Amino acid sequence: MKKASFFLLAAVLVIVACEKNDTNANSSSTSTGKGGSLARFTIIGNYLYAVSSHYLYTVDVSNPSNPVKSGQSALNFDMETIYSYKNRLFIGSRTGLYIYSIDTPSEPRLIGEAKHGRSCDPVVANDSVSYSTLKGNTYCGPATSGLYVYDVKNLSQPVLKKTITMNDPLGLGIADSALYVCYTEGLKVYSIKNAYDPVEMKTIPGTDFADVIPYDNILICWTNGGISLYDITDRLNPAFIKKITD
Amino acid sequence: MRKYLWLLMAWTLTSCWKYTNNNTGDPAYTSQKVWGYKPVYATESAAKKISYLASSQIAVSYGNIYAFRNYIFQIDPGFGIHVIDNSTPSLAHKIGFITVRGCSQISIKNDKLYTNSYDDLVVLDFSDLQNVHEYSRLNGVFTEYKFGSPISTPPGRGYYECPSYDRLVTGWVMDSVYTSCYQ
Repeated sequence: MKKASFFLLAAVLVIVACEKNDTNANSSSTSTGKGGSLARFTIIGNYLYAVSSHYLYTVDVSNPSNPVKSGQSALNFDMETIYSYKNRLFIGSRTGLYIYSIDTPSEPRLIGEAKHGRSCDPVVANDSVSYSTLKGNTYCGPATSGLYVYDVKNLSQPVLKKTITMNDPLGLGIADSALYVCYTEGLKVYSIKNAYDPVEMKTIPGTDFADVIPYDNILICWTNGGISLYDITDRLNPAFIKKITD
Repeated sequence: MRKYLWLLMAWTLTSCWKYTNNNTGDPAYTSQKVWGYKPVYATESAAKKISYLASSQIAVSYGNIYAFRNYIFQIDPGFGIHVIDNSTPSLAHKIGFITVRGCSQISIKNDKLYTNSYDDLVVLDFSDLQNVHEYSRLNGVFTEYKFGSPISTPPGRGYYECPSYDRLVTGWVMDSVYTSCYQ
């Protein structure tokens, strides 16, 4: 009897864990939209959180006709990007990944960090894993360029699980078990069925993909010539639809 | 001999004059002028005024993207926001442009679009895409964006006249400029 209970518990945990891996794929039913990993604004709940290089700003937007600033914290991080997931903010900076709790939404509180060598780093995350790309170059810093995978189940101690070196990666996005990573020569598609071990499935060639937003079954790509749209009904096989130019 | 000493002193003094008249205090390049970018200024109220054109506009440059239902928005850093109709992705196209000078970021909640115009948080109502307009504003929120928004630097590489910190830049033109700033 005890063995059966154990397996039942394990099964429940696996199911719950797998559900939680389903990040941000379906967006049309929500009241907020979706930005990319290079965003510096994010709205979650009743608050807008924004970063500039040295400050994190908090604004109460529960009443859009009367937004109220609730805070501004000075941080020495050279911040680049902000990403929100449930009650957490993931802030990418040139010196590391900083994780904030917004359990008290008006007062973000630093709860964890993973430092790295100087570089630019956007980040996407869910309950258990975060993916950052680090871009080391003369502007961003000397760190090794690549995709960095962190176990963030314990947010106060992110653990680096895997590094995949690549040239000048930039924005990234998750849709179910697919991870899309932009880099200067195109877009890479990874299977993240095993969240901590991305497996490269496909590379879409092209110049300068900067960032992507997976939105329902469309991958919206910010590229150097305009916005490109791909069909991602088959998550691991983006199919080109259109490039929106002038 | 004294005559030559005076001459030497006079020459030394006049050569010092080269070091005074450039507001960046950069001695070596004061007298050099090159073809570069020059900032265009406006009063704060003119710079921060929002307007909308319900037709496709050419982008100056391409910035952050944002998706909301059947629309995609793309920041044109420092200049405004392009509105794209994505109801049928294979026919996606630009349908409008919101002039928001000093803009760099965007987020949307409940049919209200949140963006910045320099250091102001601006809330826009886009429920009618023939008439996107300002809904509310909170002044001076993003202190670092006042003179640090994308419009504070020119849209291309090269020399430019450094913008002053007492006026807001609303654009750039090519002109003969001192080689005071470079990107």
